[in-house]
Amino acid sequence: MVLWPFVVFFVIVLIIPVGMLLLSHVLGQRHNEHATGSPYESGIVSEGSANVRFSVKFYLTAMFFVIFDLEAVFIFSWAVAVREVGWAGYIEILIFTAILVATLVYLWRLGALDWSPKQRGERS
Amino acid sequence: MLPLLIVTAAAVVVMLAISIKRSHLLAVWLTLVGLAAAFFSLWIVAPLTPIQVTPLLIVDGYALFYMGLILAATFVTVILAYGYLENQSGYREELYVLILVAALGSVVLVASSHFVSFFLGLEVLSVALYAMSAYLCARKPPLEAGLKYLVLAAASAAFLLFGMALVYAQLGTMQFGQIAAMLSGGACYSKALLLPGIALIITGIGFKLAVVPFHMWTPDVYEGAPAPVTAFIATVSKGAMVALLLRYFYETGMQHLGSVFLVFSIIAIASMIAGNLLALFQNNVKRILAYSSIAHLGYVLVAFLAGGTRAAEAVTFYLVAYFITTLGAFGVVSVLSNGERDADVLDDYRGLFWRRPVLAGIFTLMLLSLAGIPLTAGFVGKFFLVAAGASSALWGLIFTLIVTSVIGLFYYLRILVALYAPPAETGEAAPAGGLPALSRGGSYVLAALSVLLVWVGVYPAPILDAVQRAVSTLRLF
Amino acid sequence: MILVWLIVILLVAGVLAGFAGRVNTLWPRVISLVAVSIDFVLSLILWSENSSRVQLFPQRKWIEQVDWTWIPRFGIHFHLAMDGLSLLLIVLTFLLGIMSVLISWKEIQKGVGFFHFNLMWILAGILGVFLAVDLFLFYFAWELMLVPMYFLIAIWGHERRIYAAVKFFLFTQLSGLLMLIAILTLYFTHHRETGVYSFEYKDLLGTVLTPHTAMLVMLGFFVAFAVKLPMFPFHTWLPDAHTEAPTAGSVILAGLLLKTGAYGMLRFVVPLFPDAAHAFAPVAMTLAVIGIVYGAVLAFGQTDLKRLVAYTSVSHLGFVLLGIFAWNELALQGALIGMIAHGISTGALFMLVGGLQERTHTREMDRLKGLWATVPVMSGTMLFFALASIGLPGLGDFVGEFLTLLGTYRVSIGLTLVAAIGILISTLYALKVIQRALHGPNTHEWSIPDLGARELLIMIPMMLILLWLGLYPQPVLRTFEPAMHKLQEYAKPHPVLTLNPSVRALSYNGRLPEIKGK
Repeated sequence: MVLWPFVVFFVIVLIIPVGMLLLSHVLGQRHNEHATGSPYESGIVSEGSANVRFSVKFYLTAMFFVIFDLEAVFIFSWAVAVREVGWAGYIEILIFTAILVATLVYLWRLGALDWSPKQRGERS
Repeated sequence: MLPLLIVTAAAVVVMLAISIKRSHLLAVWLTLVGLAAAFFSLWIVAPLTPIQVTPLLIVDGYALFYMGLILAATFVTVILAYGYLENQSGYREELYVLILVAALGSVVLVASSHFVSFFLGLEVLSVALYAMSAYLCARKPPLEAGLKYLVLAAASAAFLLFGMALVYAQLGTMQFGQIAAMLSGGACYSKALLLPGIALIITGIGFKLAVVPFHMWTPDVYEGAPAPVTAFIATVSKGAMVALLLRYFYETGMQHLGSVFLVFSIIAIASMIAGNLLALFQNNVKRILAYSSIAHLGYVLVAFLAGGTRAAEAVTFYLVAYFITTLGAFGVVSVLSNGERDADVLDDYRGLFWRRPVLAGIFTLMLLSLAGIPLTAGFVGKFFLVAAGASSALWGLIFTLIVTSVIGLFYYLRILVALYAPPAETGEAAPAGGLPALSRGGSYVLAALSVLLVWVGVYPAPILDAVQRAVSTLRLF
Repeated sequence: MILVWLIVILLVAGVLAGFAGRVNTLWPRVISLVAVSIDFVLSLILWSENSSRVQLFPQRKWIEQVDWTWIPRFGIHFHLAMDGLSLLLIVLTFLLGIMSVLISWKEIQKGVGFFHFNLMWILAGILGVFLAVDLFLFYFAWELMLVPMYFLIAIWGHERRIYAAVKFFLFTQLSGLLMLIAILTLYFTHHRETGVYSFEYKDLLGTVLTPHTAMLVMLGFFVAFAVKLPMFPFHTWLPDAHTEAPTAGSVILAGLLLKTGAYGMLRFVVPLFPDAAHAFAPVAMTLAVIGIVYGAVLAFGQTDLKRLVAYTSVSHLGFVLLGIFAWNELALQGALIGMIAHGISTGALFMLVGGLQERTHTREMDRLKGLWATVPVMSGTMLFFALASIGLPGLGDFVGEFLTLLGTYRVSIGLTLVAAIGILISTLYALKVIQRALHGPNTHEWSIPDLGARELLIMIPMMLILLWLGLYPQPVLRTFEPAMHKLQEYAKPHPVLTLNPSVRALSYNGRLPEIKGK
């Protein structure tokens, strides 16, 4: 069994980051001035806190994008092989789309697609 | 294939039903009907087996048996969840969709004969479980549990995937059957990639089984997750993984590799010792059960290591017993839980016998079964495990099993002592107007589980026959 | 079939009593009493029917038996069988069972239904132990009797009940699991030799083990039974459990549970592993003698009456163990009579101490001075049983100890001598009880009721039985005789073994008929 290349590999993998960290720790310069802690040391002084609360709707939108847009990937892959997979593939992709539609119906009824919070408040 | 389709369809139907009319009862009924239909479709499918459905899934007697087990356990979980969620406010119906999806993942796992379906099933199961553990997101512990589970499970899935990639890189196949052929055919391969690959796969599996040293998440998740979900994690998720473990290692013959054997022996011994010892220091019933489940998986591994048909039977039988027992134990916890928190502190159970003798009796039965005392399924199960180990002369493992299970007895007795302690005369007075009523479904389920427990404990022959027939379809290497 | 009924009656009565306890406190007692009485009568009928039959058919394997397939995959049978030895112990079981129900009539007022449920199930478990000849079934029953006993101690016991109950459970469970490994080793060895999976006692009797394995497996059994017995280094659970248990619990512990250990030695350890047991006998007998003396000395040192009685059990069971490992006719008879007599005399002592505690709420001898004047009948009864327990000629214990010593004398004179010293010490503790607790002026001014009708109803039959055993033990010995000869026949030292399996099988006349060919 030829294990030693892996051992060497692992050792190197360990040595490089640890070495870099150590080197910068030892050799690197240090300074502590007025603006050291601020995000843009050389630019505009930042204003306010970084912990801004975005409206939760942005996350929802992002998630819906992930859910529905990425599913397109599967449909693309089916489209490429549409002749090879034949009717069976067609039915499968139909079922797949049907489940997606069902999910959409669910989200719609849940009120996840309503933009204005007022309506959602009424519903729940 | 039919059961899988039914479960999938049930999940979609329940989801649509929720979007049309939000009704707790309706969602539960649809879920139960779906599960029951899937369960009975097993008999429709049975004459056709074994069939290979695409290279990914194999539906044989073994898979059908485990599917039945998983579907039945899910059925019980749903009934328990109904009683549990009745006390909760907020959206309740989605949990059933999640449970169905998780069951789907488990069912895929037990029928998997390919790395792809292995991973697919695992992820379908895991993703649903994240949401299930954190389902009561208004409380802190479930959130913590969900988050912990998410982070650790994702990490372990990455390990698993990497391991599969390494094995694939070495052998050029992801099918269990072909791996077996490669390993036995004396094909020229080096172990340099294979062994790290297997090790990483074991990591992934070990995480799901919660064996030492991959057990860190267990107590927190068990404690935090709502009681019915905990029951589900403890039974269905682990059971599906054990089924896969058996199929994967037995069909490929990997457990004959010396280093794999060694690793599993260490894991088994460490799990038995650590699980039982750590449980001694807990005061939370859910945590005690969590640690005890770690130990129980250690026991299972002892028989798993013995190898051969009888060992596979012992493991499968033990899982049946373990399913009944664990569902019962967490069922009691969930029946006693109220709208604010789960009944998980030892003090919640103090003097339970004098307040609710039947419920305490059921809990006693479950604990005795976990401890492996006769008349319960746990006894027969443990007997078979020890017999399997003894037939392969794994004395070291068996002695560890014996000694640690006596340690384990100690904390089961602690709970028992609390159950039968004299009721606190002073202190907080009993709630006016008698005790709150228990959910009817939950009570029936618990009664049924107790009867089953004793029946299997006294007359295990029918179950053993079924197990034997199921395991005989496993192509042992 | 009657054997199954004996057990089923108890199990059903237990469940009924458990439910009846929700209605009132009288029904569980009545149900239990009736059930045990029916069983007692049945066992007496069995005895009287068979007292002639066992003599007439010495070749019959068992007096009664039931054999049902239970788990075919593992060759497990539900096989109950009874010979003279089991029969006697069963009669004792039901007798003490009746007494336990009666003695709890007043003492137990809390959770009456559940108490009787446990009581009945312990008796059923003990019955299972005495009757099982399938080793799996035996182990099943062996473990089954622990749980109700645990509850009995942990719920209805005295001050340190939890500690005592847990200790009892852990000790017996660990040793039981060791026995499980031993059983399985035997089972798989038997399978390797014959290709048959069987837990059947008769099948396993002929199993040939290498001397080393035989010794280890024998020790697995031995430890399990020695803990129950209890033999000297394993006895530490006993004083705690006996002291903390409620009276009925103590009676059953001392009278029956300890006997299961002795029964196991007789039935399994020596016949299954004759060579190993023979090699081990000097060690076992030495430990037994140490137990005799040690138990007696410790009993003398106690101030707690119940603890004192508990330690005397260690001493008495030492005699039983001595007799078993001396393994000749006299010694075995002595061990048997010793077992039965000890069950009755110690059981009665526990009942009396329990009665005293019920009346005075103490077990400390110093606080119990001068009771004779107040409760003459009770004191007299106590004197009787104390004298029985030290082996007064004419009472049962004397016969047991005398026969044991006679039998042991043929094996080892030294051990006999030391054991006899143990008897001497036992007179010391008996006198101590009488002097400290009963005699003297009534300085604490106790005025308590004497034995009532119910208690007399318990005590008088037990006195009569002890007298009968002491004066005319012949019926008991005659019932035991065929069983004893069978056991001795099984335990004949094996012929010299060679390592070649085929030769080994051939040298084994009669044990492996399918190889020998007919």
